[in-house]
Amino acid sequence: MTRRLGFLIFLVAAGGAIWACTEEATAPGSCPNYCPTDSIAIRDTIFTAIIERDTSFRGYVPSYGAEAMTAADLPGVIDSRAFFTTDTMFRRKAPNVGDTTTVPIFVDSSRVRFVIVRRPKSTTNLRLHLYRLPATTDTTSTFSSLDPAFTAAPVDSLNITDLLALPALTDTQTVRQWDSAWGVSASDSIRVDAAGNVLQFNHLDSTITLYFKLDSLQGTLSDADTGRIAWGVRVAADSLASIGIGTNATIANTPVMRWFYHYTIPDTVSATPDSVVYAAATLGTRFHNFVFTPPAAPVDSNLAVGGVPSARALLRVAMPAFLHDSIDVVRATLILVPVNAVQGVASDSFKIVAHHISTDLGAKSPLDPSDALIGTVFVHIGSPDTVRLEITNLVRQFALDSTLTTAFVLGQVPEAASYPEVRFYSSRAAAFRPGLHVTYVKRFRFGAP
Amino acid sequence: MMTVERSDGRTAVALLVVVTLAAVGPSGRLAAQDSQLGIRGLGTPGKLESVRARSTGGAFAPFDAFSPLTDATLADVRRMSASVTSGVSWRSVDASGVESSLRGTRFPAMVIAGPVTRRIVVGGGFSTYLDRSFGVIIQDTVNLRGVPQAVTDEIRSDGAISDLRLAVGARLGSRLAVGVGLHRITGSTRVSARRSFADTANYRTTTAKDEVAYGATGGSASLMFDVTSDLRVAGWFRTDSRLRADVGGHTVSENDLPINYGAGIQWRAGAQASLAGNVTWRNWGAVQSIANAHDTFSWSLGAEIGSPAAPFRFGVRSGQLPFGVGKTPTEMGYSGGLGRQFAGGRGRLDIGLERLQRRGTGLTEGVWTFMLGLTVRP
Repeated sequence: MTRRLGFLIFLVAAGGAIWACTEEATAPGSCPNYCPTDSIAIRDTIFTAIIERDTSFRGYVPSYGAEAMTAADLPGVIDSRAFFTTDTMFRRKAPNVGDTTTVPIFVDSSRVRFVIVRRPKSTTNLRLHLYRLPATTDTTSTFSSLDPAFTAAPVDSLNITDLLALPALTDTQTVRQWDSAWGVSASDSIRVDAAGNVLQFNHLDSTITLYFKLDSLQGTLSDADTGRIAWGVRVAADSLASIGIGTNATIANTPVMRWFYHYTIPDTVSATPDSVVYAAATLGTRFHNFVFTPPAAPVDSNLAVGGVPSARALLRVAMPAFLHDSIDVVRATLILVPVNAVQGVASDSFKIVAHHISTDLGAKSPLDPSDALIGTVFVHIGSPDTVRLEITNLVRQFALDSTLTTAFVLGQVPEAASYPEVRFYSSRAAAFRPGLHVTYVKRFRFGAP
Repeated sequence: MMTVERSDGRTAVALLVVVTLAAVGPSGRLAAQDSQLGIRGLGTPGKLESVRARSTGGAFAPFDAFSPLTDATLADVRRMSASVTSGVSWRSVDASGVESSLRGTRFPAMVIAGPVTRRIVVGGGFSTYLDRSFGVIIQDTVNLRGVPQAVTDEIRSDGAISDLRLAVGARLGSRLAVGVGLHRITGSTRVSARRSFADTANYRTTTAKDEVAYGATGGSASLMFDVTSDLRVAGWFRTDSRLRADVGGHTVSENDLPINYGAGIQWRAGAQASLAGNVTWRNWGAVQSIANAHDTFSWSLGAEIGSPAAPFRFGVRSGQLPFGVGKTPTEMGYSGGLGRQFAGGRGRLDIGLERLQRRGTGLTEGVWTFMLGLTVRP
């Protein structure tokens, strides 16, 4: 009986072990003889009339709301000038905490800091000129109204190309001390010219931080302006003079002015001499902007994207029923034909993003918060080529979800930070209208032998 | 003092339940031996055989009450009985020089039967009619937007078409038994088709999944005649309606199913030896919708030697497979096995090993199958 029971247990255990084995039913196909009759059929179609009711709107982001300012001097193309005003700086200071009396401060020197977030790498003799502008500059200031100040003699100048050519100071202590004093992210080197202007190279994002050194005559406090100062920047180079300057939209890149001053604490209770205190005050940006000429042309029947104030194009997609029902989109490319090549320098090339909108409210359509439903492409300066923008995720979602708003917005990234603007032919131009190149897989015919 | 209790029927029933759950539970499959030769057709026909019959190359199937091939043989069931068959197979495929190894667990048949009167026995159960479990990977290059793109297609089907049978076997005299059966052919397959691109930056992977439900009805009739006390012959006939395939409630295809008929002979050569053989025809060629469907003929020969309580079995079979390009694919098989009664004859375990060799145009398959069967009579 025991042997029989053991035999049974053995067989059941063996059977269970075998049944627990995993399945493997997939093998390389020997087609067509030993493959399913149907195959995965892929189609490629350019829908030329699928984009409809497309239009452009301008005024989303103004130049003073952008994350960068453009300074450029491209004859025949653009003349762009950047400027910013500092916060208030008082001439008097309470020498000790709790004092009700104040003492005057005396400016020894100052520094003005700019962060160059974009620059042409192949430019030679790239120079930056610093101008003192009226402290009253604001959103109403125009290129022409500021032109007298920008055409006066510059307060100071520095040569970025020459600074970059200088031997780098890589002493860790010095670099760290400088970074600490200015509260900037770690840089790998410092370069100083004979005038005391400093250039820092940030190895993390290739930005350049420039520090103008101004003496007490160059940087003077104006009591009438409560110590506010407006500084303007023009750029010059042998060619391709165009740079992007960071603004306070990105805190690390904001222009900054730092005053170095001293004051005396009078000693009224002892016979010791008065003490002199040396201090510094850092002032942030109160306002920033850039002005340029010629101004952006008004939007027309074409699709304008970019420029200042920023323009966006709204494109609506008339999805055919069969794209909803019986296919799976594997690639979708928006085809846009530029009206003209965008003028400028190569470093002004910019990114265009196609962003799905949550609901179609025309110019005020809210962007879909999902980062998945976007497509991006770079528009290269000087290239008249057709722009192909991959929007596969977007069109796949259009096909899957029939309740989704089948429209999207084309916008520049970052917006209003630079003058370039691209214009594409709209659906009004029959020969060059936007198209959608869709590669899709037809539904597999399951159930057929 | 140690006492040994005699096992009763409860042990056997418990074992049947355990084996059934073990077989169905992990895999959820009711399928037979699949084959690449069934991909481009309705599937791979199942073998309507118990482990006992299959260990003899299928030769004893017409005379085995627990093989769902014939209904008349149910007349020999004297007590309520149940039998379950399961197996695992290892398959090597050589498709024009491309070799692959496959593995599958199967649960191809179950029969339960019992007498309602002294002469009439009612039985039923299920078996695999067509296996549709396969997966193929196809590497190809397609021209998209003027650029060659490498793609990989993976088409899978997982499931089978089962045959639910309700049958009656009756003994009309001491020598003649007849049987009829009603069949409901039903089942489903989970199917998927996936294409991925080498250029993942621009092209998204596409996957389509669905479930295909199958349905048909059929009828069968058979008879068994004892020529002498040692010699028995049997014949059977079966026909089915068109097989309907539905996806999402819509019929996507309807295909004819073959008429199936055959005959067998069994000779009892003494108390401890039996020989049997049979021939079967199926007119799969009548399936109009499939271009390369062929009528099939198969034969088998086998023997069972030893005491009925612990016999040794072996057999050989040869036949044709219904779907294949060009020449009709062939199948040759050898098998052997053992049986063992337990619980005072209330239960029986059968084990078997089968080797099949299939050949089609440009394709060769070799299959090892280990089978395990349990029969109980509570």
